[in-house]
Amino acid sequence: MRVRNFPYLAFGLPLLLLRFSAAADEPKPTPENTISIKLENEVKPQTFPRPIKFFIEKVVDRSGSPEPMRVIKERGGVFLDKQPTEIVQQALTDTLQKSTLLAADRPSADYLLTVYLFHFGLGEGTGYEFFGKVDLNVVVKNVSTGKSSEITALGTSIQGAALRKKNILKNIQANIDEALESALRNFLRGTKLRDAVVVPDAKPAPPPQASEIFRFVARPLKGRYDHA
Amino acid sequence: MRKYYLLLAAAVFLLTTWASAKDQPKFKSIEVKHFPNAEGVELPPEFSDFLYAELKETLQKKNLAEQLIGEDEVVDSADAAQSVILEGRVLEYKKGSVVKEQLTRGWGGGRSLTAHVKMLRRSNNEVMIDKDIKVGVPAMADPKHLARFLAGKIAGEMKHEDR
Repeated sequence: MRVRNFPYLAFGLPLLLLRFSAAADEPKPTPENTISIKLENEVKPQTFPRPIKFFIEKVVDRSGSPEPMRVIKERGGVFLDKQPTEIVQQALTDTLQKSTLLAADRPSADYLLTVYLFHFGLGEGTGYEFFGKVDLNVVVKNVSTGKSSEITALGTSIQGAALRKKNILKNIQANIDEALESALRNFLRGTKLRDAVVVPDAKPAPPPQASEIFRFVARPLKGRYDHA
Repeated sequence: MRKYYLLLAAAVFLLTTWASAKDQPKFKSIEVKHFPNAEGVELPPEFSDFLYAELKETLQKKNLAEQLIGEDEVVDSADAAQSVILEGRVLEYKKGSVVKEQLTRGWGGGRSLTAHVKMLRRSNNEVMIDKDIKVGVPAMADPKHLARFLAGKIAGEMKHEDR
């Protein structure tokens, strides 16, 4: 090695080591740092004026997060056991099924739901608590008219911070559970969904048939000519 | 002796009745709405959602309502008379100055936020609370702490509001 290369090496080597050590610090999902999100309480949707069926077409991740399953990076990381889109799809399916609002298949549905997931997990808090946030945007499409309505739903939850890893996992899990439940309730009990489902049903009266128009016009004439 | 027993029984009865009445929530439901910012107010983007979450959490903890419902959720018409809507607007936010805070030994220069808060009865839109509330924290603190203090003050106002 030439002596003149030594300063470059002295400067570059620590940076290289730092890069590798940072890569080694990246937390990996293990059974000890993975949580499972499931709805603890049943979400009761609002009652609709007539029986309707929904079909969940797809759930799309729009969070833009490169690692949607990682909830936090600190303290060895906390991970979700499934993709957030899968969790939301499962929770919404279960809720609709329990309330007999879920269509068996796409053709039998009155409304198609496309869920866009903008945030799932923890939001930015003060650092002294866990701020759970689930932000959804649901496109409700009326199958018969083809008309779509966009509905936003937000679920939040705040839980105290914890020091022990076990409690951190417990609090984060409870926090996201509650935020998901709150977001689904906000969607299914929202006035926006009621408007989207009820308003398009108030269709204008169908235009009269050609035969009816002819009968209406012909009636006075008929009498007049009969008399003659 | 019998007289004392009777008095004691009456006192116990009154105390338990008072305690149970105190524990009962004041409202059937409270709908919390997001507080929009007035023109020119620059707060962190997450502030609005954080304040919304803090309000729901604080009102829940204070046991002010049987049910805390999210924004624009349906309410049973039978409960409307005993249900309220909480809405507001952030009027002013001052970032504060650490230097000024040091120079005045904490008497000025802190972060502050003023919000206009309105509480309406759901059935007839009767205004039950309509006032400006100001909160402050040290200039070094995260601005979201303002949301926590504001939620606490609003809950206090709601608790002491006569039906």
